[in-house]
Amino acid sequence: MGGQAAGPQPSGAETIQKLCDRVASSTLLEDRRDAVRALKSLSKKYRMEVGTQAMEHLINILQTDRSDSEILGYALDTLYNLICNDEEEEQDESEDAVTPIPASGKHKNVSMPDEAMQKQSDDLGAQFTEQFIQDPEHITLILSLLEEFDFHVRWPGVKLLTALLKNQGVQVQGIILVSPMGVSRLMDLLADSREVIRNDGLLLLQQLTKSNAAIQKIVAFESAFERLLDIITEEGSSDGGIVVEDCLLLLLNLLKNNSSNQNFFKEGSYIQRMKPWFEVGDDNSGWSAQKVTNLHLMLQLVRVMVSPVNSPGASASCQKSMYQCGLLQQLCTILMATGVPADILTETINTVSEVIRGSQVNQDYFASVNAPSNPPRPAIVVLLMSMVNERQPFVLRCAVLYCFQCFLYKNQKGQGEIVATLLPSTIDANSISAGQLLCGGLFSADSLSNWCASVALAHALQDNLTQKEQLLRVQLATSLGKPPVSLLQQCTNILSQGSKVQTRVGLLMLLCTWINNCPIAVTHFLHNQENVPFLTAQISENLGEDERLVQGLCALLLGICIFYNDNSLENYTKDKLKQLIEKRIGKENFVEKLGFITKHELYSRAAQKPQPVFLSPEQMLFDHEFTKLVKELEGVITKAVHKSSEDEKKEEDVKKTLEQHDNIVMQYKDLIREQDAQIQELKEQVATMTSQSEQMQTTVTQQLSQIQQHKDQYNIIKLKLGKDSQSQANSQADSQVNGLQTEELSQLREDLEKLRQQHTLLQTQLSDKDALINTLKSETAEGSAASDNTEMLKELDALRSRVHSQVTEIDQMKTEKQELLRKAEAVSSEAVSSSDGSLDAAKMAEVESRLAAQTSETERLKEESKSLSKSRVDLDQQLAAATSTAAILQTEKAQLQTEVQESKKEQDDLLMLLADQDQKIHSLKQKLKALGEPVDDEDDLDARDQTDDDEEDDDED
Amino acid sequence: MAYAYLFKYIIIGDTGVGKSCLLLQFTDKRFQPVHDLTIGVEFGARMITIDGKQIKLQIWDTAGQESFRSITRSYYRGAAGALLVYDITRRDTFNHLTTWLEDARQHSNSNMVIMLIGNKSDLESRREVKKEEGEAFAREHGLIFMETSAKTASNVEEAFINTAKEIYEKIQEGVFDINNEANGIKIGPQHPTTNSTLSGNQGGQQAGGGCC
Repeated sequence: MGGQAAGPQPSGAETIQKLCDRVASSTLLEDRRDAVRALKSLSKKYRMEVGTQAMEHLINILQTDRSDSEILGYALDTLYNLICNDEEEEQDESEDAVTPIPASGKHKNVSMPDEAMQKQSDDLGAQFTEQFIQDPEHITLILSLLEEFDFHVRWPGVKLLTALLKNQGVQVQGIILVSPMGVSRLMDLLADSREVIRNDGLLLLQQLTKSNAAIQKIVAFESAFERLLDIITEEGSSDGGIVVEDCLLLLLNLLKNNSSNQNFFKEGSYIQRMKPWFEVGDDNSGWSAQKVTNLHLMLQLVRVMVSPVNSPGASASCQKSMYQCGLLQQLCTILMATGVPADILTETINTVSEVIRGSQVNQDYFASVNAPSNPPRPAIVVLLMSMVNERQPFVLRCAVLYCFQCFLYKNQKGQGEIVATLLPSTIDANSISAGQLLCGGLFSADSLSNWCASVALAHALQDNLTQKEQLLRVQLATSLGKPPVSLLQQCTNILSQGSKVQTRVGLLMLLCTWINNCPIAVTHFLHNQENVPFLTAQISENLGEDERLVQGLCALLLGICIFYNDNSLENYTKDKLKQLIEKRIGKENFVEKLGFITKHELYSRAAQKPQPVFLSPEQMLFDHEFTKLVKELEGVITKAVHKSSEDEKKEEDVKKTLEQHDNIVMQYKDLIREQDAQIQELKEQVATMTSQSEQMQTTVTQQLSQIQQHKDQYNIIKLKLGKDSQSQANSQADSQVNGLQTEELSQLREDLEKLRQQHTLLQTQLSDKDALINTLKSETAEGSAASDNTEMLKELDALRSRVHSQVTEIDQMKTEKQELLRKAEAVSSEAVSSSDGSLDAAKMAEVESRLAAQTSETERLKEESKSLSKSRVDLDQQLAAATSTAAILQTEKAQLQTEVQESKKEQDDLLMLLADQDQKIHSLKQKLKALGEPVDDEDDLDARDQTDDDEEDDDED
Repeated sequence: MAYAYLFKYIIIGDTGVGKSCLLLQFTDKRFQPVHDLTIGVEFGARMITIDGKQIKLQIWDTAGQESFRSITRSYYRGAAGALLVYDITRRDTFNHLTTWLEDARQHSNSNMVIMLIGNKSDLESRREVKKEEGEAFAREHGLIFMETSAKTASNVEEAFINTAKEIYEKIQEGVFDINNEANGIKIGPQHPTTNSTLSGNQGGQQAGGGCC
């Protein structure tokens, strides 16, 4: 086991074995504890031996001796010593400390005197870590031990887990991620009141969150931003110590390349909380190294949020809130402050660059920033002065160039303002302008300045045809007495003078950007008779390695002259230039030279990201935006050059046919579009119709229910009517619902009329009787016997029989009425059953027809219901009328009855009178008999009187 | 922006039920018919108004796939509200609700408000789960229920806002400990003073019930 440990101390392995046995077998806790402590003290000197022999025993202790924090602490410390590769701080309390205590802080690794030794140590650490995490339960075990509040357990636990993460990050992260609440529990370490644990917790979380997006998000979810920003503030922000640095590093871990967390950070309004970090005072001298580090990280944090690699939308919203909360303004203050260390100033410039990049509002603000000089100068001018100043640090000059590029990125307004400072009409001779500085840089003796100024000016022309044309107007006064030269001319002049590669590359990039996509500029360029021969000479010559890039760029420039040529110069038409290439250079050669650009080793580096970062000033050759231009043009130029004029003609023909085809296709497309629109329209129609049909259906159901209501009401009325008619003993009136009713009514009316006539008849008869009685009276008064009595009695009989017949008539009418009612009911039920519209809404194709059917159906139903309700109203009225007529009739009948009664009474009276008269007659007869007068028919008369009387009595009963 | 309260939500449910689309519709008011599978968890946020108060919703949209389950479980504990989503055109997503609910109840704090959501209500023709079934499930497990369509935006606002209302009511009733951020609720930054008067007012409104 320990054999290969080149054993000068064979006793070491033995001792360790003994200790292991004690740990494993001793029943006394004290014994085990002492053994573990001894192992711990040996774990550095005999790391190999302790690791191989004791690891399992130590893990067992962690599992079984949970109640004793002391032994847990020793075991964890020992494991930490085995696994940790950094010779960090020592456990002073160990009785026989083997290695000397390094004086360094805990974050600085002591450089091992022997690299081989360090390597060996690394191997051991990796080996033991692997052994330890073989069982994922061991990690879970450590996680559960971290729940232990005891300092002696929690602290070494944190350190052990950190060391494990350092050695086998991915695996350990995976295990923690899947253990329930694993990450959340580790987040709780930040809330520990003991600073040591909180601070080591920060280091643990740094390791935990390294390039693991899932863990980063959980940590953020557990309010990490809030906690970390609080700690940073508590510790004094940039003035704070290493804890602030650790917090910032953790924040960077959480935010870098994690768009979800960036969004959370922004939405949580944490950007606003970064602003106070940058509130630096006037006196910025004597910043501590820690402060510089802290500020540097803080600036990086800002940049992470607005990095050009983020999605444009995300960056834009962060840029917006950085302006709104004043963070950008604060950064610009640092930019213009004095005494800020160059390192911080450079990073601040880079940060400002990315905060304004592509954001119009922020770019406008930046353009308005002035340096606190006298007179105040725009910050842009001050920065450009640094860019073209040889004595400024290289990284600072690069930063300024980046800032200028970001200021002009997608900023037509800014581009116009910069170009305007060069135009004759707007030049202000009294102050230094950006244009002047750029021209100065362009033509200075410093190649770096030449390059930077060229690229800066190219950015002022990027995707901006107006400014490309404007810049053609710029004239330069080179020396006294000579006519002014155009800026374009001056550029080509310098190019041909054979200056440094960097200068020529810069100028060629400027020229390519300038004349690209701008035929007028191409014409201007070709107008100078020397330019084309110069370019062909450059391309065709066989030059060394260093010149290859220049050759490639010259080929590109010539290619643009062909591609964007409007054939306005007779000597340099497309065809002529192509022939020139064929004769002087050769097509293949030309394309090969063109390919030199993208094949350059620095090309792909520059293509990666917008920020100009170069390891050394000599490597400053490519600009990011220019690499995009090359990518775009290389193919089309190659094609353009390869095509002969015949090919081109053919192509023209093809183009024409293609155009024809296109036209046809366009026609079809239009047709399709039209049909599409029609379909859309029809679809909408169908949709509206469906909704209409739905509406209709609802109205139908509503109406059905209304009809039902009407029916119910009708039934109620009918019931009422039935009752009414029952209560009316001889009611003539009654309610009928159907067409028969009018007939009935007229019949009723006729009946009424008849009754009235009868009534009048009776009345006349009565008056006749009265007259009769009167005559009788007078007759009796004259002593004559009752002459017309018999007649009167007959009439009375007739009257009685008439009354009787009337009663039967009324009965008949009643039954008729009942019948009519029944008929009416039948009619109404028919009406209801016919309204049953069962509609089915389903298939689209049938929708329209169905809709029509439904509409008519509903219409019909509506009408039906309308007519029904109308007839109901009519009926109501008729009923009312009938009731009133019935009432009238009743009163009339009552009157008649009373009249009959009266007439009877009168008849009675008359009878009485008759009886009296009879008696009188009798007495008169007797008197007459007594007087000896003969009397006729006495008995007959008497007898008839008698029977009449009886009959009348019966009637009266 | 100033807010009176901040609520943390999670959205859970089977893969492909439209969780991310619901979130996108709520935060961005747009619908993306083609969506990548969510990897782990994605974040979204929006401000809403309840009872005249600005409430910030922070929403974590979780991956539905089984392989991410252990990761997404880490989000239950700190959430005040959960939207449990199924797809009305896929019965299996409805059948899995019990598992989801058990998981949520086990790992979350007991007061977490859970809103059951039957998504894709625009696909009526392909419906496999009746609305009544969703209602019954919600009733049985004490959840709020709603059918939504992330495509047509129908009920999407309501789903998020009604959940917030429920949480808000629970705060008013004193069920939630608003000072413990682990519950997924945070009081707004400038709020402490206004909050005390606010709770005082409520005491008054509730006829002094809470005062004694």
